[in-house]
Amino acid sequence: MNYPKEFDVIVVGGGHAGTEAALASARMGRKTLLLTHNVETLGMMSCNPSIGGIGKGHLVKEIDALGGAMAAATDEAGIQFRILNSSKGPAVRATRAQADRALYKQAIRARLENQQNLWIFQQAVDDLLLDGERVSGVVTQLGLHFYAKSVVLTTGTFLCGLIHIGLTNYQAGRAGDPPSVSLSHRLREMQLPIARLKTGTPPRIDGRSIDYSVMLEQPGDTPAPVFSFMGRIEQHPQQLPCWITQTNSQTHDIIRGGLDRSPLFTGVIEGVGPRYCPSIEDKITRFADKDSHQIFIEPEGLTTHEVYPNGISTSLPFDVQLALVHSIKGMENAHITRPGYAIEYDYFDPRGLKKSLETKAISGLFFAGQINGTTGYEEAAAQGLLAGLNAARHANNEESWCPRRDEAYLGVLVDDLITRGVTEPYRMFTSRAEYRLQLREDNADLRLTETGRKLGLVDDVRWAAFDSKREAIAIEQERLKSIWVNPAMLAQADAERVLGKGIEREYALYELLRRPDVNYAGLMSLPCAGTGVADAKVAEQVEIQAKYQGYIERQREEITRQENYENTSLPQKMDYRVVRGLSIEAQQKLNLHQPETMGQAARISGMTPAAISLLLVHLKRGFNHAETNKPVTEKVEKSA
Amino acid sequence: MLPKSDNIAAIATAPGRGGIGVVRISGQNLGDIALNIIGGLPPSRHARYTPFKDADGLVIDQGIALFFPGPNSYTGEDVLELQGHGGSAVLQLLLQRCLELGARLALPGEFTQRAYLNDKLDLAQAESVADLIDATTSQAARSAVRSMMGDFSRVIKQLVSQLIDLRMLVEAMLDFPEEELDVPDFTRRDAKLAEIRNDLQRTLELAQQGSLLREGAHVVLIGQPNVGKSSLLNCLSGEDVALVSEIPGTTRDVIRQSIQLNGVPMHIIDTAGLRETQDAVEQMGIARTRITIQKADVILLMLDANHGISEEDNKILAELPLSTQRLYIFNKIDLLQEEARTETIDGNEYIYLSAKSGKGIELLRDKLLGVVGWHQEAGVFMARERHLTALKKAQKHLEDATYEGDRAELFAEELRLAQEALNEITGEFTADDLLGEIFSRFCIGK
Repeated sequence: MNYPKEFDVIVVGGGHAGTEAALASARMGRKTLLLTHNVETLGMMSCNPSIGGIGKGHLVKEIDALGGAMAAATDEAGIQFRILNSSKGPAVRATRAQADRALYKQAIRARLENQQNLWIFQQAVDDLLLDGERVSGVVTQLGLHFYAKSVVLTTGTFLCGLIHIGLTNYQAGRAGDPPSVSLSHRLREMQLPIARLKTGTPPRIDGRSIDYSVMLEQPGDTPAPVFSFMGRIEQHPQQLPCWITQTNSQTHDIIRGGLDRSPLFTGVIEGVGPRYCPSIEDKITRFADKDSHQIFIEPEGLTTHEVYPNGISTSLPFDVQLALVHSIKGMENAHITRPGYAIEYDYFDPRGLKKSLETKAISGLFFAGQINGTTGYEEAAAQGLLAGLNAARHANNEESWCPRRDEAYLGVLVDDLITRGVTEPYRMFTSRAEYRLQLREDNADLRLTETGRKLGLVDDVRWAAFDSKREAIAIEQERLKSIWVNPAMLAQADAERVLGKGIEREYALYELLRRPDVNYAGLMSLPCAGTGVADAKVAEQVEIQAKYQGYIERQREEITRQENYENTSLPQKMDYRVVRGLSIEAQQKLNLHQPETMGQAARISGMTPAAISLLLVHLKRGFNHAETNKPVTEKVEKSA
Repeated sequence: MLPKSDNIAAIATAPGRGGIGVVRISGQNLGDIALNIIGGLPPSRHARYTPFKDADGLVIDQGIALFFPGPNSYTGEDVLELQGHGGSAVLQLLLQRCLELGARLALPGEFTQRAYLNDKLDLAQAESVADLIDATTSQAARSAVRSMMGDFSRVIKQLVSQLIDLRMLVEAMLDFPEEELDVPDFTRRDAKLAEIRNDLQRTLELAQQGSLLREGAHVVLIGQPNVGKSSLLNCLSGEDVALVSEIPGTTRDVIRQSIQLNGVPMHIIDTAGLRETQDAVEQMGIARTRITIQKADVILLMLDANHGISEEDNKILAELPLSTQRLYIFNKIDLLQEEARTETIDGNEYIYLSAKSGKGIELLRDKLLGVVGWHQEAGVFMARERHLTALKKAQKHLEDATYEGDRAELFAEELRLAQEALNEITGEFTADDLLGEIFSRFCIGK
């Protein structure tokens, strides 16, 4: 049957990408349907019970700055909060939380159920409805036809998911859930470029069977940080520590003894796994000289005894898993509650996407999350938000939006995906961001909330809070620039205490704050400084912006140089064989990628400056002229 | 940069009379030209002895035709070479014939430009070819050959790989704070940085030497007409290179001359030419010279042991910047029967020599080369200004890179910028490449 209600946007999948996509679209006022095969698994954390970390925490703050749910839900569900890299500088500083799975699911579910314009329906999706090269809706398992102007697919590892434990394997979306086979086959028929990736998870352990007394305790930070710009520490539930233990040579011997039954080492698994999150069998093989690897025992929640031993992801047969767990200090008597496994799944080459995450092949069809070859809740949620907002804009015939590489990690993520594709599950790292110094957690709101407001993603409460923070920063900066201190005004003791030494001429307070060793609190303790701001977030912003001004300005110059390229659009569905002088390799790459801008073209791996200058020349001369250029086409045919 | 795929042609050999002269044609469709001049394209990369014919079928010359089909050619396009006899008239006729048949006269450097655009050469190599063609001295030519073979690129790549090694440690520490990274590696951080700074300094020096070979040094020679300047210059330059007059005919006296010293071009301005004059053309020349001497690298003040400095010399000397290094030469020691020697008095260098007998000329030669910064050594690169700029930029960032725990990200930023500067010479290195290095070195992942 045809479902009687028509939607603007249909989101398929209820994981981290799907929920952010549905919430974003609904916040923008579009009639949105979230289709999931199981309402009970909305917002489920399938892998480790942790949110954030280096690069990932940055993404979570950006999602939050755009009104998304992940940070706020983590504040309600987090049972341990830490700031990583707290002493290496503000740009690489990142928040991470261990989350109670049940509380997290609950927090997400509550947001979905209370969101206006959002309908939830439980039914697996088997097919897409197409109208020429446009998507018009989806068909569910029961044969229900749902119609919408945009469809967002966030199918995670469910497309043709195949679970491996030892040499045994079976089809699944994740342990305990069915895979999406029909939809996968349907997408394969559409000739979208598809490939296989692999990821894995460790066996879960009953915490009551672990001897924590021989492990190293790792408590959270005090005071515990909050994730959301709107978050409060009082929202946090009870806090728990993590524990650290390690593998030993006996563990490694057990693993080596089981390699002949490893799907990874016997060639059963074809998908490529992530190098930064290898299975334990991979680690001991590639780094054979290391006699020990760390394991972090992470609590799964307040209402369960189950724990997650982070560091021993494995797809070895169960008997090997049991023996290897028992060889680890403190886990001699551990009871495994769920076996570890590897899962292979289909993903689509993200080079087939526009920066809005709409597929180039089918208008109105958007992809977000692991379907694009990424890994991680945060990467998925960030893409979900972007796909959701662009699906909403598409439904309303509006231009798409995507932040640039210098504006957000989200921009880096999308640009990396669509220009370079993936060779392994893609995870965010700060080293991927060339403008790292300005893409900080602390200024995610300043970078994105205003745009989020314009897009309709940011509600009145958040907007008012943001606006007053931004104003307070500006006022304080002006105040510090207007207060001058001269050597006569400054007592020697004060100067040495706050500045390290006396001053030789007159300075504005703001200039003094730019010095590496001067901090805001110290500066405010000077008698001439007047009353500083009470809000620690405002003070932090004033201080960081002053300190980093020089670096940021230098990066700005770099950005301005790039801007020309970014603003030069390339025609879509263009045949690059007509570009005179381009090497066959460059032609093929450009034909495959169909970059939207010259900037994207330049970032395609293997594109040479020569090829880019040829493209520029070609653009200048105009494509029409070139298309009628006989000798070139002849040449191409000859060499092809 | 205007890539054209039309046929271009040029005389590839130097102008003047020579045993062999070559006309080179590059393009995507040379069949027509070949058919009309030599009856068709010769087999690939095989020499064919053939007559070259004009429009009326008359023989212009008799010679070798060579055909290199693209992409396996210098430019990456089809290339046809017609090697005939030297002598400009014959070559001009042959070139003219190619132009009649639709080829366009190549712009200077256009063959190399096409080679670059077709990825046959990287930018550093392409620029070396231009240097090779421009090279005025044999030293410069040898150095250009070395850069073209990729020596320069190789040294830079070595430097970049050391830098990557260091960046890998720093970035791994920033992106993976909870991993047990090999600590000994990171404690070697400062040693590594010092090593890179040293190597960069050394590379920069070699590159600057190359720049000196290409550009040469400007020397102002002050002295009375009879003090022995001509014999000094002849003596300095040795016998293999003749004196060249750059602006003949504009003045009665030659005021600019170029000689070679150990292969380094020395552009010598003889201030004896800077006399008062009513001649308009001469005045212009003199005005230009006055500007040049302001930027001179070294001033040679040549004195007869029997005479002091003249009024005229003093006037010119007063015009010159004090910061420019000066060498005082006392000539004609043979007449006074003194020994050749150097002295340093109040920071001024005094050289006693005889230009006539050549006694002490080695002392001057060494001093002069030393002052302009030349150290004769192997491995000099023909560096472009662009390369020097990039190297200096990288050097600046490496100097600014100081590791302080709470500002580790700024340390990382300077290293990144240093690498980016070097990438301008060698090509890109992506964040993904860096992560690849980290993952292959460290066991990352809980």
